Amino acid sequence: MKKRSLLGNFALYGTVTAVCVVLLFPIYWMFLTALSPRTQLRSYPPNFWPRDPQWNVFSDLLAAQPFGLWMWNTIMVATATMILSLTIGVLAAYALSRHRLRGGQPLGLFILTSKMLPATLLVIPLFAIFKSLGLVGSLWSVVIAQATLIVPFATWMLKGYFDTIPAELEQAALVDGCSPLGALFRIVLPVASPGLAATALYAFVISWSDFLYARTFLATSESKWTLNVGIATLKGEFVTDWNTIMAASLMAAVPIIGVYLFLERYLVGGLSAGAEK
Amino acid sequence: MIDFSSPKHRSKFGYMLLAPAVILMALIIIYPILLSVDISLQDVRIARVGGTQAPWTTKNYDWLINSEEFWNSIWVTARMVFFVGGTSLVIGLATALLVNQKFKGRALARLFVALPWAVPEVVATVIWAWMLDSSFGVINWLLLKAGFISEAIQFGSNATAAFFAVCFVMIWKGYPLVSIMLLAGLQSIPAEQYQAAKVDGASVWQRFFYVTLPNLAPVIGVTMVMTTLWVFRDFSIIYVLTQGGPIGATTTLSMLTFEQAFSFFRMGQGAAVGVVTMIICAIISRALVGRFAKSVH
Repeated sequence: MKKRSLLGNFALYGTVTAVCVVLLFPIYWMFLTALSPRTQLRSYPPNFWPRDPQWNVFSDLLAAQPFGLWMWNTIMVATATMILSLTIGVLAAYALSRHRLRGGQPLGLFILTSKMLPATLLVIPLFAIFKSLGLVGSLWSVVIAQATLIVPFATWMLKGYFDTIPAELEQAALVDGCSPLGALFRIVLPVASPGLAATALYAFVISWSDFLYARTFLATSESKWTLNVGIATLKGEFVTDWNTIMAASLMAAVPIIGVYLFLERYLVGGLSAGAEK
Repeated sequence: MIDFSSPKHRSKFGYMLLAPAVILMALIIIYPILLSVDISLQDVRIARVGGTQAPWTTKNYDWLINSEEFWNSIWVTARMVFFVGGTSLVIGLATALLVNQKFKGRALARLFVALPWAVPEVVATVIWAWMLDSSFGVINWLLLKAGFISEAIQFGSNATAAFFAVCFVMIWKGYPLVSIMLLAGLQSIPAEQYQAAKVDGASVWQRFFYVTLPNLAPVIGVTMVMTTLWVFRDFSIIYVLTQGGPIGATTTLSMLTFEQAFSFFRMGQGAAVGVVTMIICAIISRALVGRFAKSVH
């Protein structure tokens, strides 16, 4: 391979830096606005560097808005959705991966297409159902609604991981007198744990980002709002308090960005789950 | 007690594992879809389960065919798919090619280039709403300063500006997926093909058009279908940024469904729009499903 010239190297690094600066500017701007004193936001020209960072904006936010509560609700919903989808997804994915079942392939196709349903359609019958069950305003309504997307997703992603684990592994355990369920839990799952972790985090991210279901089912009970509903409502207020919104946004984005940095190498498998297989 | 490890009962064990998923999906996906078709054939404002015993009516679909809003939303959706899909592809391909180069710090650059993927849609939208603010937004300031415009663009009230504002957010949220998928595609192109092209004296551009693009074509196809479906179904970005306004300029099919059902409480009409959207999405996703079915056999 030919070595790049010094000029070529310079151009490459320059381009990479410029591209990153332009593409990530909105994230920087969120950070900067959150830390700026309120009076500086309406100054022309805008400040591009934090001159007087107000770190107390986060503690103020937690004290003034029911923000801590919204964060807690979001964590609860995301955790419940993650556990539900992973439990059901592991069993179904294992069955689809290991057993040649009649109806297995149509089911696979169904799982695939259900990822493509427009959520704004699904939300109408779900609203009618939850209304008659008295679930509107309960966090469970959001968990169940999100499961419509995340269970198929988790199943499909996990099936991909199980397919990579040789079946001889459990067959050996079965010969040694292990029960089929024991083989799944004691042999397959430990081997698949990176895949399980990636799927779990993925489910968490999807749930954390949901806005439609929380907005529809929880709208009337402010104490049940999730972060996204809270942020969207703050934005809709008559006098928009941008640095509070940006501080709230930052706190909503940081956990997901953290997960992303950890997940990045599994990302391709997850994003294309079902699309490319 | 059945012995599940015996070959005779092995498939029974499989069905048992599958049962929770099948039951759940029947309850929360299949039943609601059937119910939404049912709702779309009823003249209802607020739908209830088993609310009316009235015979089905095509009233909602008649409204749909004759309403300007519906055809407008199809037109808005089509333009949005085209613009967002095209621009995301260009940015995604450019960034993927860039971070596919060999250089120190490449892993970090790869992380950064796709970082907007990790920003929740609502958060991405409020950041852009602030940047596009008509009085204190940084984008208007930059454009004014650079002399491109003489007065601030009103992204909230100008129909064209609002449309592009929504597109900007969607592109910013949508290009990382394209970039990540195309990067994976680029990495799977065998190096021998490039070497062979080089030996034959192909220029950089010839290598791009005759080696890179043909190899990448299937991935580009899949990615474009995914992006299209995403634009079709997206709700958060439009709702938070413009609520579909001004005067329907950003009302996509998905937005119209929600608006009819939950802003105007005409769930029958909302469901009718939703059912049509679902059928269109199903037709588009056939491209994906077809590929899947082929690779299974």
